[in-house]
Amino acid sequence: MTLYSIIFYVLATVILVATLLAITRRNTVHAVVYLILSFLGTALLFYLLGAPFLAVLEAIIYAGGIMVLFLFIVMMIGTGPSAKRVNLSQWLPAVILGMISLFTAAILLFSVPLTQEPLIAASAAPIEFGRFLFENYWFPVEITSFLLLIALVGTLYLGRQETKEEKK
Amino acid sequence: MIVPYSHLLLLAVLLFVLGAVCSVSHRNLVMILIGVEIMLNAAGLAFIGASLHWQKLEGQAFFLFILAVAASEVAVGLALLVYSQRRTHSVDSNDYSLLKG
Amino acid sequence: MNTILLLLILLPLFGAFLLPVVGRHLPRRAVEIIACASVLGSLVMAIVAFFIGGQKTYVLTLLPWINVNDFSAAMSVYYNPVAAIMALMVTFVSSLIHLYSVSFMREDEDYVRYFCYMNLFVFAMLIITLSDNLIFLYLGWEGVGFCSYALIGFWYHDIGNAIAGRKAFYLTRIGDFAFGIAIGLFFITFKELSIFYINGHALSLGAKMATVFGLLLLWAAVGKSAQLPLVVWLPDAMAGPTPVSALIHAATMVTAGVYLLMRMFPVILQSPAALFVIALVGAVTSFYAACSALAQKDIKRILAYSTISQVSYMLLGVGAGDIIGSMFHLLTHAFFKALLFLGAGCVIQALHEEHDIFQMGNLRDRLPVVYWLFLAGALSLGALPFTGGFFSKDRILLATLSHPELSYKLLWGLAALTALLTPLYTFRLFFIAFLRRPGRIDREIRPIPKLMVWVLWPLAFLSLFGGFLSLPAIWSGGEWLSQYLVSVPGTISLNIPPSFEWGMEIGSGFAAVAILIIAYFLYYPTPFSFRAFWEELLFTGFYLDWLYQKMVVLPYEGIAKFLWLKIDEGSLDQGIDQTGNFLPIFSAGLRQWTTGRLSTYLKMLLLGFTAILLALAVGWYYF
Repeated sequence: MTLYSIIFYVLATVILVATLLAITRRNTVHAVVYLILSFLGTALLFYLLGAPFLAVLEAIIYAGGIMVLFLFIVMMIGTGPSAKRVNLSQWLPAVILGMISLFTAAILLFSVPLTQEPLIAASAAPIEFGRFLFENYWFPVEITSFLLLIALVGTLYLGRQETKEEKK
Repeated sequence: MIVPYSHLLLLAVLLFVLGAVCSVSHRNLVMILIGVEIMLNAAGLAFIGASLHWQKLEGQAFFLFILAVAASEVAVGLALLVYSQRRTHSVDSNDYSLLKG
Repeated sequence: MNTILLLLILLPLFGAFLLPVVGRHLPRRAVEIIACASVLGSLVMAIVAFFIGGQKTYVLTLLPWINVNDFSAAMSVYYNPVAAIMALMVTFVSSLIHLYSVSFMREDEDYVRYFCYMNLFVFAMLIITLSDNLIFLYLGWEGVGFCSYALIGFWYHDIGNAIAGRKAFYLTRIGDFAFGIAIGLFFITFKELSIFYINGHALSLGAKMATVFGLLLLWAAVGKSAQLPLVVWLPDAMAGPTPVSALIHAATMVTAGVYLLMRMFPVILQSPAALFVIALVGAVTSFYAACSALAQKDIKRILAYSTISQVSYMLLGVGAGDIIGSMFHLLTHAFFKALLFLGAGCVIQALHEEHDIFQMGNLRDRLPVVYWLFLAGALSLGALPFTGGFFSKDRILLATLSHPELSYKLLWGLAALTALLTPLYTFRLFFIAFLRRPGRIDREIRPIPKLMVWVLWPLAFLSLFGGFLSLPAIWSGGEWLSQYLVSVPGTISLNIPPSFEWGMEIGSGFAAVAILIIAYFLYYPTPFSFRAFWEELLFTGFYLDWLYQKMVVLPYEGIAKFLWLKIDEGSLDQGIDQTGNFLPIFSAGLRQWTTGRLSTYLKMLLLGFTAILLALAVGWYYF
């Protein structure tokens, strides 16, 4: 029971509880806020697992960018708290299938001796990570920037205000 | 020294299943997209854990790409959502049944 | 494996700690979900452990605990097939009873305390089931005793309930005292408190020391399992809520005593004297309890005495040296006794808290499902042919009869007599409480929630068909349970000549049916008048016409009708008609999937994902 493992279990509990609360909220804004909490927990977990750069990226981009974007959209669309209760025929098959796959995955995970070894703490300094990334994977980085450009263009087109000619 | 590798993977699997359940059981389109985000995050967690287990940096590099892809997918997805909401004034997935055969 | 067993034990503890802390601030549904989810989680872990464990034995240390000078006691587990089966049974029955409790306690305001104690109980029981270290086991032992006291006296505002709880605690404490002495003696003799170690070195014990251990452990079991002479707490323990009676005083805590003897069996095996005393206590208590059950009026007291009687059978099995038979009977008893108690709970609630069977009746039309399911449990308890109870009880009786010593034959006689009394009191209960009473006006029954009845179905299925877990070889059954448990030290495989076994099974089958018929004549609610019976017999010509009707005419008409409607019109005509219809029907079925709705497609995605994962897992395991 080292300090690292205690931190891991505490963070894991926080993440799981926050995610669980997020998926069971009827109010979408509440769900997004709980999810932000979950992602911040994940960011801390990444720090523990030796990826400080990615921890900060997760907090900035995922929690601070993507989730805030969700909040913007939700407030813009205005899905009020009058969302209907999710009925049983909706969530029961999902939960049953989820439990079956969880159960199968757990058996698979625990029956392989490889996965019983403990993780060894290490940390990748941002400068090392950056050097590694651009030395070995510069091409995917370029492609990713291209992807982001495409996404940007697509979003702008989809979100444009329709002019009078287009409406006709 | 931290935890056994299987515990981390179990956490990732648990988060993934939670995201899948969220995606499948809600009718609100925003909640479906949120479920997808949770699943992507869970996959990313698995990658970071794997990178620590094998002590290689490939996993972290791939998480960066997952992040970028998730961001662009969310942007386009939400733009689509806004667009379709302007057309049909509803974010309930049951109302989009034009493909009904 | 470490993690799985740790989670198995800790999940109910987690529930038990969480509930008192935040229970009052959470909505009621959340509390119920937490309580049920923690026990269901344990069930999942037990299933996973069962599949991974196979027939191997694990001795694992989960957490370090006491470490003083040169004495150390760790929280270690000893997981072998016996523990695996027991853990599965405990978690399965507990999960069902927790679900039942959600409905049963729906009107009680004190539900947080109830579920907290129930979870704590499951935690302590799982410690008993899995523990390797004797002090750790003692922790669980005391834990179940405490939870039993807390739950019996749950409705403590009625002072009678609190007194019953205290009585239970005192009497089991007298037994625990002997267990404490036994632990001390074990430490002195072996310098180690691990069950695995002690069992491994059991051969080094002399007969005298083994007898002392056997008697001390028997005394502990007598307290916990309510055997003579510490038997009086169990009937009074029925003051608690019915799910508590089902869980604690039918399936789990009262079997903990027998289970302890099974775990320490290699030690007791060294002392034939101790084994005989165990068998003697078992047989005598069994007879005593069956006689007492015959005259009770409260439905739960009948079931309580029945429990005492059946647990004594398990004790008799241990005394005869047959661990597998004892375990088999433990399993079937857990299923049918839990079913009977839960069914009684349904009846009690439906009839406005009526406990007296002479005030019940007419339940076939009013509570049909409960009627038939309760009948299933009663058939199994009475060991009618082919039910689970039949095979398990027969195995114990066979083991006792085939024991080389003569004294065991006498014990067999006593046990056989009890086996005759069991269907008698069981069907007395059933006929008086459930069947029609002509000429009586009944109150309207309260509608009972569906969940309480649904929970009974899996138990009924297991009661009736649980015998197939270990069909004896003469029926060319798999004897799966026996094969599975045979690897555990101390178990024996019974080698009984097939003719002997045939005779026994047919004999006991006939005896059970005969007692059923006798009970029918004795207890059927309509008063029996001999003269009316004779007059009717002679009037109808000895029922000859009725006989012909029933045996020839009606079956013939039935078959003809069946052939006409179902086969002629149904299969042949319809078959020809529908062959052409096949394609439209098929495509109409497929059309269900193309709803055009996103939610359906997402569900299908998840289904496909799960299917692929399952296929991968199966492929991994078997290839």
